[in-house]
Amino acid sequence: MAELDGEVARPGSGERVILWSLPAVVVIWMAAFLLFPGFVPPMSPRASATEVADFYDENLSRVRYSMILFNWFCVAFIPILMLIAERMRGMAHRTPVLRYCVIGVAGAAPIVFLTSTVFWLIAAFRPDRSPELTLLYNDLAWITFTCGVPFLVGLCAFLALAIAYDAQERPVFPRWVAWFNVVIAVALVPAGFAGLTPSGPFAWDGLVSFWVRNSAIGLWIVVMAVALRQAMDREPGPDRGSSGDPARTEIGAEA
Amino acid sequence: MATATDTTDTSPDERVPGETGMWFFVLFESLIFTSYFCVYLYFRTQDEGAFLEAQSALRLPLGIVDTIVLLTSSWAIARSVQEARAGRPAAARRLAFVTIGLGAAFSALKLVEWAHLIGDGHTFTSSDFMQHYFFLTGMHAVHLLIGLVALGILVHQLADPHRRSQETIETCATYWHTVDLYWVLIFAVLYIVR
Amino acid sequence: MSIVSNLRADPKRELWFAWYSTVAFYSLYSVVFFGLTRTQPPGKPWLEPEQTVEWFAGRQDGLLVGFALIFVLGGWSATAIALIAYSIRRMSVSRAFAYSYLVLYLIAAVPGFLFICVAMTVGAMRPERSPEAQQWLYDLGFLSFSGTMGVFLVGSLIWMTAILLDKNRVFPRWFGYLNLCNALTEVVIAPSWIFQRGVLAWDGVIAWWIDVAVFGTYTGVFIYLLREVIVRDDFGRGPLPDAPPGRPRRWHPLAKVVR
Repeated sequence: MAELDGEVARPGSGERVILWSLPAVVVIWMAAFLLFPGFVPPMSPRASATEVADFYDENLSRVRYSMILFNWFCVAFIPILMLIAERMRGMAHRTPVLRYCVIGVAGAAPIVFLTSTVFWLIAAFRPDRSPELTLLYNDLAWITFTCGVPFLVGLCAFLALAIAYDAQERPVFPRWVAWFNVVIAVALVPAGFAGLTPSGPFAWDGLVSFWVRNSAIGLWIVVMAVALRQAMDREPGPDRGSSGDPARTEIGAEA
Repeated sequence: MATATDTTDTSPDERVPGETGMWFFVLFESLIFTSYFCVYLYFRTQDEGAFLEAQSALRLPLGIVDTIVLLTSSWAIARSVQEARAGRPAAARRLAFVTIGLGAAFSALKLVEWAHLIGDGHTFTSSDFMQHYFFLTGMHAVHLLIGLVALGILVHQLADPHRRSQETIETCATYWHTVDLYWVLIFAVLYIVR
Repeated sequence: MSIVSNLRADPKRELWFAWYSTVAFYSLYSVVFFGLTRTQPPGKPWLEPEQTVEWFAGRQDGLLVGFALIFVLGGWSATAIALIAYSIRRMSVSRAFAYSYLVLYLIAAVPGFLFICVAMTVGAMRPERSPEAQQWLYDLGFLSFSGTMGVFLVGSLIWMTAILLDKNRVFPRWFGYLNLCNALTEVVIAPSWIFQRGVLAWDGVIAWWIDVAVFGTYTGVFIYLLREVIVRDDFGRGPLPDAPPGRPRRWHPLAKVVR
């Protein structure tokens, strides 16, 4: 019943290249994040249409260039997320269902960032339009960006569960990674409610929905990169052949 | 359950020709189509005058020709199934091609009819009746295109003795008969009932 | 078979997790859309701008809370897609079918809930916004939700083709044909981009009521069938065995006809 068809990808085969792209992607993302004048400090939901229109007027170039950068590179995280999905092949699962869940949410997550950059860029496109419209696009961008956490929450939850179900002697990721993902998921949840209030810590410029949310995402990237690197180091290299861990079965390991 | 790799023509379920699954589809899809007709008839009673007026743009002779074409195609595919069952695949194939040809002819006639109607100013949005008309004939056209695919599969089956499965052939034929049935209903409800 | 015991020790626990999640998510989704936000049945497409302002005002709290819940839990929908993709993997057909389905439906999340969540939240959060802008958000929400059925159309066709070509008997063939019915109802929704009134508008008798009846039936059926697949699954490659004996055989409408 369990044919050994295991095509566990070996770390030597280009995966290190993807992993090393991560610092470059992070630098570009941080640059875009800091360059965008609306993030530091975050724009207020209570600003009037005129104030928002003035903001775009005064900061036109910075808005445009930072968002173009953000737009280009928000999908750059997909290869890293796929590296994590590849590690999941080594988990002691009977089926690829949890890996499919991770791929599902990982693929959809950048769409949220992409859409929000589109709205910000549109807001900045015609400085001479009615302030009402600029306010509308600004609202759309901020709500998409702040509240659009479902795929990230899902990603953390599925990863945590996958690790919990990885019952073998040398699990792919250690237990603490699962707990870490749970913590991050919890940290992201409140941001989904940002539309409910224009002020306070849960508003899109507030402590919880902005600072905690974005720091959580940043922390997740850094910590998972380390965990990923460790997991890849633990795997057998190209000269040692496939790992042949008896706890793994083939349907979980291969596509 | 017999699959397409069966080369005999005995289907395990002698109660209905073709797969029973297809009959399930026919039942369910017919239910949906019937609901579309009920909706049409209901809205017709709400505004009979306007419906009658728009309906007069339809040409009955053309509808009759359409019906004859499709009924003939149903006859052709039924004969084709008989020939296949009797072990004469070549004849069955010829008849299947006739069916496809008639199906294509029907599509061409439909397009001509739509073009005329649109040319006369009767479009999808010009009146409530035309909305229902284009919707029903449009959905029928989609079913017919799928039917042409089914007939293609049937022809493909007949071409090679190793592929042949009487059950699959009958299943495709059943689908084609359903396409014909829907047209007859459309013809009756949209063209004749005034 | 209690839920807890399934999720702890069962070798099929990943599959049961995905299945119970599917049931839970679809239930949540229905409660949010039909009960909390009352965006289904949908608002009327022919409302004037001022009327859409009233529409948003009358549902403000429900919209904000309901869609916030989807903002948080929307990712849970991935379990249904993953389970279906696995069921397609279990078939004898190429992996391309499973991957196609997975990718199509992850894209489907965008029109499936993301856009309507954003549009309705932005519409509800500033009641003082201009009526024209409110109407635009109203249209964006409903049209992006109802009108973008191409993904589900193609997805259903892929699942149908996989089932009809499958030699492992993962699903009964009549379900393959039911996918065709579902695909056809996705075609029916297309005119909602053209009509503001009538049976083919986004709230119309045909484009919404009949469509939802078909889609609801289809969803209920595949949730039931997925359960059967999990029970029968042997993690192998060949034809799926029948359900183990001794299980109480539930009433099945086609039990005698479809072997």
